[in-house]
Amino acid sequence: MSPLLVALLGVLLVPLFVASWRSSLIGLGCQGLLMAMIAYRLDHAPTVNSWLVLTDLAVVRGLVAPFVLYAVLAARNTPARNDVIPPNLLSWTLALGMVLMSFSFSEVLVHAPGEQRTLVAVATAGILLGFLVLATQSDPFSQMIGALRIENAIALLGLGGKARESIGLQLGLIGVFVATIAFFRWYLHAVGPTGPAADAGPEGPTI
Amino acid sequence: MTRTRLPLILMIIALVASMLSAVVAAMPSTAPLLGGYLRVDATSRLFLALVNPIFFGVSVYVWGRVASTPELQAGMGRFVTSALLFLVASNVVLIANHLFVLWIALEVSTLAAAPLIVRPGVASSRLASWRYLLFSSVGLSLVWLGFICLSRSLEEGGLVPSFFLEQMKALGPATANTWGKLGLTLIILGLGTKLGLAPMYSWLPEAYDEAPPAVTALLGAVQFNAALVVLLRVVHIFRPSHAGLINAELVTMGVASMVISALSIIATRNVKRMIAYASINHAGVIAIGLGIGKTASYGLLLYVVSNAFIKAILFLTVGKIEAHYQTKDTQKISGLLKDLPYSGVFLMVGTFALLGFPPFGSFFGELLILSALVGSGHMFVFAAFCVLITTTFVAMGRTIFPMIWGEPKQVRAWPRQTFLSAVPKLFFLVALVVLGVYIPPVVNGLIQEVAASVSVEAP
Repeated sequence: MSPLLVALLGVLLVPLFVASWRSSLIGLGCQGLLMAMIAYRLDHAPTVNSWLVLTDLAVVRGLVAPFVLYAVLAARNTPARNDVIPPNLLSWTLALGMVLMSFSFSEVLVHAPGEQRTLVAVATAGILLGFLVLATQSDPFSQMIGALRIENAIALLGLGGKARESIGLQLGLIGVFVATIAFFRWYLHAVGPTGPAADAGPEGPTI
Repeated sequence: MTRTRLPLILMIIALVASMLSAVVAAMPSTAPLLGGYLRVDATSRLFLALVNPIFFGVSVYVWGRVASTPELQAGMGRFVTSALLFLVASNVVLIANHLFVLWIALEVSTLAAAPLIVRPGVASSRLASWRYLLFSSVGLSLVWLGFICLSRSLEEGGLVPSFFLEQMKALGPATANTWGKLGLTLIILGLGTKLGLAPMYSWLPEAYDEAPPAVTALLGAVQFNAALVVLLRVVHIFRPSHAGLINAELVTMGVASMVISALSIIATRNVKRMIAYASINHAGVIAIGLGIGKTASYGLLLYVVSNAFIKAILFLTVGKIEAHYQTKDTQKISGLLKDLPYSGVFLMVGTFALLGFPPFGSFFGELLILSALVGSGHMFVFAAFCVLITTTFVAMGRTIFPMIWGEPKQVRAWPRQTFLSAVPKLFFLVALVVLGVYIPPVVNGLIQEVAASVSVEAP
């Protein structure tokens, strides 16, 4: 599992330094697929629960979410460059510092060295880097990337535990995530300078 | 089906929900339902009886607005669909007996509310809606992260995690390790975001300001209380094992929220934002009361119940004032009692209740929380509370009172207004006054029962 976790850490870091929206989306997709592989390694029993977890990670997080956002950005010919953190030495140092801090933090939470500790460290790094993106960006796309990075990191941390929800609850959670992605798609289209042209008219009465 | 009937259907469904809630509130608590995922207990009964009538009142207001303003019929399909989903999800939050079900229902209510904030053709409202969704999603993600940490905490102790409320309470003491403390801290921080508490409060003034008045009333009086119920459940489960952590985090967030609210009220000239900032102040008072627990709990719940009606009255009234003057600038509005007498009276009474004047429930609630602060030896918090409440009072009074009294600055034609649009505010006002002078025994019993459940500490 450790090589997968190292790869996941790489996928978390590289899009921060390669400032393009495509690399951010590819990073998100890779996160989902790598997490699915980790989940398969941890629990490959042929149960409905396991298949739902794999579907959530590989299909919904790995493919659907990045593709939905890609379709909107590609349709409006968005310029390739997109910084998810400010392109300066301070931000890069902060990002790397957060990764180091995550590994120290995981030693406090998981006493025995091993894969569980690495998993907690990578998940913590994912959450902190997600918050770094949210704290430094104000455009909706970068904020979406930050929020989805946090969601993915939390899902990774969940994989390390033994608790599994009932099928109904799992479906509910996947449904909520899919609905959130659908809303993200709408906001990506509606918020910002390229919003609907209806804004030109006067504001009408409200409820 | 014609669009004119949609608000009527919404109103009828809300009426049925209100009547059912009233019946349920008067009945004893039930055994767990649907495999234990749902349960109607004292907390559910109190908040069902609070939230559904307010939703009904807002739906009557919407019906009146649409009847008098045919242009509004265009967006009714979307509004009614989202509002119904919001109503159902909010009710599920109130009766859920499993932390994951609570979380899913709260997330669904957030997703249902987000499109309601958008006003057609207004870019700033879309941005406010986006920020609302973003902050809510991040806040709820923190809550989910907290659940995972709690799960890890139980696994570390060799226990099987369960998120059914009563089982969770029995497992509470086993979470007194690093994972458990981290989980609880994150849950409270995430729920604080949904309630508009510092540090992640900035979505609230923007969303409340940009949303249509009826939606702001729903966010302030319905969704706020749904999120608060989740926090009450968490406090109920974990206070016996983590009293110190809950006290420290909630009191810190509460005081910080009151500071931010007081400074923002001083700085703003936008009347709707001012009331939104006052909502942050209220959330701060509630967090402090909940953090202290013990004798503050009864006052806290009285404050919460009154507060729901105050917000509904004020946001609907401010919407009316904005529609009349086409501005939210406090310095351009004056003489409301002469120009818009009903709105003037609603704003006046609502503001007095908001500022904690007697005989309103908010006054008694604040008094009980202050008394509990002194009784529990939190003298610094007591002093800060008094200073901040006084600052808020002076800042709001100097801005709002000139709007109510004095000579009108603008002479404008009266907009069309049906009696129906005033009836809900009148109903909320009567409920607010009644709660201040006489609390019906059923409501009093429920408040006492819920207060007891959130103030139990380790023996």
